[in-house]
Amino acid sequence: MDLLAHLEAYVATADETSFSRAADRLGIAQPLLSRRVKTLEEHFGGLLFDRSRRQITTTELGVLLLAYARDVLDRAQRLRQVAGAAGRSRVRAVGVPAHCAPAALGRAIRAAGERGVTLGMRELPPRERDSGLADGSLAYALVRVPAERGAHRVPLGLASPPETEDGQCAPAYAGARRAVQLEDLRPRRGRGAEPGAPLPVLTLPEDQIPAHEERLERAAARAGLPPGRFRPAGSAATALAETLAGRALLLCAEPFARQHGARWAPLGDRSLHRGYDVRAAPDRAGAAAAPDWLVPLLASAVGAARGPKGPPSGPRTEDATARLAARG
Amino acid sequence: MSAAGVRRPVYVGDDGALRDVAEAIATDWAALGVRGSFLARNLDTGEQLGFDIEELIPLASVVKVPLALVVLDRIAAGDLDPATPVPVDPARSSVGHTGLAAFRYPAIVAVGDLLLMMLSVSDNAAADTVLGLVPVADVDERLRAWGCGDIRVRHRMNHMYECAAGAAGNDFSLALELALRDERADRHTIETLDPAHANVGSAAALVELLRRVWCDEISAPSATAELRRLMSLQVFTQRLASELRADTLRWSGKTGTFLHLRHEIGVVEAESGDRVAMAALTRADRCAGLAPDVELAIGVAGREAFEALRG
Repeated sequence: MDLLAHLEAYVATADETSFSRAADRLGIAQPLLSRRVKTLEEHFGGLLFDRSRRQITTTELGVLLLAYARDVLDRAQRLRQVAGAAGRSRVRAVGVPAHCAPAALGRAIRAAGERGVTLGMRELPPRERDSGLADGSLAYALVRVPAERGAHRVPLGLASPPETEDGQCAPAYAGARRAVQLEDLRPRRGRGAEPGAPLPVLTLPEDQIPAHEERLERAAARAGLPPGRFRPAGSAATALAETLAGRALLLCAEPFARQHGARWAPLGDRSLHRGYDVRAAPDRAGAAAAPDWLVPLLASAVGAARGPKGPPSGPRTEDATARLAARG
Repeated sequence: MSAAGVRRPVYVGDDGALRDVAEAIATDWAALGVRGSFLARNLDTGEQLGFDIEELIPLASVVKVPLALVVLDRIAAGDLDPATPVPVDPARSSVGHTGLAAFRYPAIVAVGDLLLMMLSVSDNAAADTVLGLVPVADVDERLRAWGCGDIRVRHRMNHMYECAAGAAGNDFSLALELALRDERADRHTIETLDPAHANVGSAAALVELLRRVWCDEISAPSATAELRRLMSLQVFTQRLASELRADTLRWSGKTGTFLHLRHEIGVVEAESGDRVAMAALTRADRCAGLAPDVELAIGVAGREAFEALRG
């Protein structure tokens, strides 16, 4: 016996004092309603309604049980509501890089809410964003791809200490109007020589992925820089502190540098910038596409450049035969 | 960098101070990702300093020095006339970007001037043309007869280009990367980088050869004198010569460059009478065609060694 359906028939009949109106209210046929009431009366071992007159009335037993029946139905209703709400509020985790713009992430969360979706933003290093999508712990993620292949490109550049009050700016390339070229980082000789060892360039965990590090190392070698000039920073905060103190340069995106009062200039070689795609975890059907409304919001959170992509830069593919020969 | 970084160089030095200089040079090089060997010897006192001096390293263009000596020996013996005109056709000559190797039209050059071209501007076509007159096997045999230690001549200059292009299809960056990867894995995709098949030598053998040339203890005095003259005409100054440039000093040297290899051997002679022979044979762990900081580090090593060893 479906106790809830039978109790509903009982309570509706008591409220309406009519089998036909009760059946209308519940949207079922009257014989079904009557049968349910009858089954319930057999179950409880007594009549709930007095059917002897034209207008039915509730018996003494019917009045006694009514409050309890309502209570059972109320609780069942609340149970359904809670279960429904819980289902609706299931959080869909989004893997994002560290130091995203909070306002833009907020807009993404709000936009999701308007669509009945709850997003939870999780700051993760690049490798964990990839693995999170694969194991399903993330629904969506901004994943790193080579700059020229990504749908979104975040310019990487060098952060350097702000200009001091006496107008002194430490290294010449810092805050240059033009983009920084890696060969600018070669130690200066002669008049422009800086005392001591050249400043190391620190890299953030977001850029500590093998493919990117390899590319950076190769570009640095071609620009005449010794190995080890770029080195991984421990944490972003200490790297920034070293940078602001004038003891290092930091390879980072513009918003991160500006937000903390550092000067910043982009790397001229766009192939060294960060490339991102917004990806979704594959569902049971194997399909995986992030919703259209989410993509631009995440791109702006990570600080992706707008507008058309610039011409690809990077190593020229010139290779004179003679370069392979023995030389003097 | 991995395994090689852990390896400790074997130092030579006649006293603590000289060993200190050798250690400072090795440390300086290691910081730039450079490995290799270095030896400097005072030709008059015999005092020396260096490290890993017995290691066999492909010589690249440094091999042109023993080659020139063998040819000059033939000339001194009257077997070869330095005035003999030799045709050089760019269509069939060796690859290179200096001297006759860079020529676009056929030329006729005398043997003596081919030696000048191969030592002053490291001309590969001149060297291989000379090897057409004095075969590789004869050069090697002569050197062994002289007792030149580990120096071995096994192939023409163009063989280096052929092996590199064969492995990397005319892509310089790829060839360089192959060389670096092989270096880390201790194998040899490019045959001319394999000490078992390349023209090779050690710093010890090369410095000893220079000593015998400068002290007239090998071949004939006319041959060694001409070799000294030709080596003083080298135009490249970015390496050992870079920190030894003064009117009171004279540098006579020969560089060698191939992919990640950067070498130079030579002798610095001061007006004060001091003479120091040296050999710097290096491999860089860096995918770069040009590395001015490595060149400078080699130059700094040369100067420090000279100042430590001069009387």
